[in-house]
Amino acid sequence: MREIRTPIGEDVAKTVCVGEKLLISGKIYCGRDAVLPKICALAEQEELREKGISLVGSVIFHTAVSVAGVGPTSSNKLEIETSIPILSKRGVKLHLGKGALSKETVRALGEYHSIYAVMPPVTALLKNNTISTRLIAYPELGMEAFYELEVCGYPVIVAAAKGECIW
Amino acid sequence: MKEHDEIVELVCQTLVSAGSVFRSDKQEAYQRAVLKEKNESAKWVLETICENAATAEKNGSPLCDDTGIPHLILDVGSECAVTGGLLDAIYEGVSKGLRTLPGRPMAVKGEERVCLEQSEGIEEDSGLLEAAPVMIRRIDQNLLRLHILLLGGGPAIRGKTYRVFHKHDAQNIVDEIVEWGRESVRLLGCTPCTIAVGIGRSQYEASALMLQAMAEGNYSVQSELEQEITDRLNETNVGAIGLGGNTTVLATFMKIGQQRASGVRIVSMRPCCCFEPRIASVVLEDRENKKYGEIV
Repeated sequence: MREIRTPIGEDVAKTVCVGEKLLISGKIYCGRDAVLPKICALAEQEELREKGISLVGSVIFHTAVSVAGVGPTSSNKLEIETSIPILSKRGVKLHLGKGALSKETVRALGEYHSIYAVMPPVTALLKNNTISTRLIAYPELGMEAFYELEVCGYPVIVAAAKGECIW
Repeated sequence: MKEHDEIVELVCQTLVSAGSVFRSDKQEAYQRAVLKEKNESAKWVLETICENAATAEKNGSPLCDDTGIPHLILDVGSECAVTGGLLDAIYEGVSKGLRTLPGRPMAVKGEERVCLEQSEGIEEDSGLLEAAPVMIRRIDQNLLRLHILLLGGGPAIRGKTYRVFHKHDAQNIVDEIVEWGRESVRLLGCTPCTIAVGIGRSQYEASALMLQAMAEGNYSVQSELEQEITDRLNETNVGAIGLGGNTTVLATFMKIGQQRASGVRIVSMRPCCCFEPRIASVVLEDRENKKYGEIV
């Protein structure tokens, strides 16, 4: 498995292949239905820095963060999938979740040199690979707030890159 | 019957088991799937799911971070009584179980519009999540048995309850279920799944039968119709988490109830995720054998 550390460089996003297994380490963001539209709005209003968020080279893991742990939610839910092109344009290099995406989203990922990876929903195992959890923004959303995790060796498989996908 | 506190503790332990343990028939189904899988990536996913299950069982921790909404089925024998006090103890046990597992905090604050819009957020206490209404069934055995199922959100998004015009040929119903399944397994993301189906006379009845199918299904026992649905959906080659391969569906659990004297059948179909049905059962009272408390 190829080991990738965040922030992810442009070269990585351009060279990974669909179906390739990766191990992700470093700091990654977490968000899902409730918070990603808010992050998109912040990005469009150029207000991310005020919240201490830097999207360049980042990973966004589509998950809730709670006492139960973490695990991928369906990335094809409306509010999550619509965030992918917007956040890719702003520098997100890897979107991590589960489920098939539309052709339009796959095309947008390719255009912005970003990738989509999926992972098995193995919450019990991920607990051992999660070093720390930090709340970044929107605490009122509870488990759906915007979080940053420090992770070591999260196992993922590239599902969409360079305009191609596994579906 | 056991005392209030004993029931609370048994229900608590049963919920934790539902959220953290694969039953033996499911473990065996996964082992068979690993052996026959030819797609290396999909095989890795299946093995990782098994490893996750072993870790969750060892730690008594959640299989998945979406710990699900508790759904309860209470089997009641001829001489057993269901009292308000018993239901209170069961609900208290569910809350305790959710705090112990721990369940994901998912009780949405407020009522009406506030609740629908989730505008005041979510309760921090996992134990405030309410179970779905309890289903009560009369059984022949003279005992009181509780089944706890934990239903996650992904399958709820992809499930469907709708009418099918059968044209006096069961094959039309099977074909429709397969069509719904093809659409849903591709988008689910958490394959391999288990297709749960209930067929009845109303949306309520079909959904109730689907839940019973989840509670009673066994991966080692498949009827002709169940096997046909499983085989046809596996031809989609969606595979584990959509990576392709031989195993998109592990099994189909179908329960067919009474039917309307008409040309319509109401079908409820849930593409259960790779961990579902998450279920555990416990006997709370046994009037004949005086044995109770074993969680399976």
